[in-house]
Amino acid sequence: MNNPVTIKIADLIGSSLCISAEDGQKVFEKIKPLIQEGRTVVVSFERVTMLISLFLNAAIGQLYGTFSEEEIRARVNVNGLADDDLEMLKRVVDNAKRYYANPKDYDAAWSQDKDNSDEPDEK
Amino acid sequence: MLLNISTTRNDYNGFNDIARLADATKNLLIDSVELDFSECSFFEANMSAPLYTVISRLFDNLNDVSIINVAPGTQTILRKNCFLKIFGVESQNDNNQTTLPFKIFKMHAGGQFSEYLDRYMRGRGIPAMTGALRKRFMQSLFEIFQNAAIHSRSEHGIFVCGQFYPNKHRLNFTIADAGIGIRENVRNYTRSNMSSCQAIKWAMTEGNTTKTGGQPGGLGLKLIKDFVRINGGKLQIVSHYGFYEFSAENECLQRLSYVLPGTCVNIEINTNDTNTYDLGTGLTVQDIF
Repeated sequence: MNNPVTIKIADLIGSSLCISAEDGQKVFEKIKPLIQEGRTVVVSFERVTMLISLFLNAAIGQLYGTFSEEEIRARVNVNGLADDDLEMLKRVVDNAKRYYANPKDYDAAWSQDKDNSDEPDEK
Repeated sequence: MLLNISTTRNDYNGFNDIARLADATKNLLIDSVELDFSECSFFEANMSAPLYTVISRLFDNLNDVSIINVAPGTQTILRKNCFLKIFGVESQNDNNQTTLPFKIFKMHAGGQFSEYLDRYMRGRGIPAMTGALRKRFMQSLFEIFQNAAIHSRSEHGIFVCGQFYPNKHRLNFTIADAGIGIRENVRNYTRSNMSSCQAIKWAMTEGNTTKTGGQPGGLGLKLIKDFVRINGGKLQIVSHYGFYEFSAENECLQRLSYVLPGTCVNIEINTNDTNTYDLGTGLTVQDIF
């Protein structure tokens, strides 16, 4: 029961291209119940040839909306990522932590900063 | 209606001129439009994509559109990149293999876009980029393409094309859509009344995304900006009245005189770049979460 479960992303989404939010969502929906069951998950990026932040936001970043940093650190591992992709994943994770800490704060600040000077709406 | 096309480069004036065409034709319905190139001495190939945002709206309103008086040099450019095929003009072989042809993709055709890039980025005289540069560039293009697919709500698809300039070691690639544009998306999301320029500024801020559904986002454009800065390239984002340009030396936001429909993103890279893009942070898997 406590053996880590490996999720081979290329197999799961049927492609070596991790470029869509839908595919990221599919990965998220596999990881989430496993963590909820107390399992440890290894997300394998072997054979992935293209990876973008949009995919990682949905697949990994979204986990921070459900689980604590401690749970994720204890239950999730990744392999098969090149160094520069690891950098990108780190950016995604840090961004997700900020987002779920205060998702609406930033938007509210911008909402008050209105400046529609001389910009007519198109009819 | 006869409309003059000026000399068009991928700069503020070029985009403003295409926006002028959009403004002049915005109310045309079941009419006829001639785009007259007699005053156009040069048309930068990748500007075909933003021009098509205007043309697609004309087609949608059941107008006839034709192109006239195209000088031989410009015609060669626009035949090589297959843009004139839309108007029934046969494409011309791209013997120098410097063109990434104009193409319209359906909104969720990320896989086909990948095949397109595989085909035209590889072995067609497109530069022998380093592996790291090629990867970063491709990632940037996918981020832009998927942004258009998610946010634009375009009914006409996504328009792409690119041009390599071997002597300048520059490659331009443009992705455009005729959707609702950045301003509308940001206004709806933030329930504010931002100007087009402010909305682009908002979208360029790390962590800001109009994606709904409680998911983090807003990283793609920031990653592209970081890449462009290191590479010595250029990024332009044009939407509605907003014109944004970023390079390592300069960042500016300007208001266009007219509305450009949808959103257009142009990325220009320095193909001679030998950066490894290894930031040397020594990150390990244990540092990620």
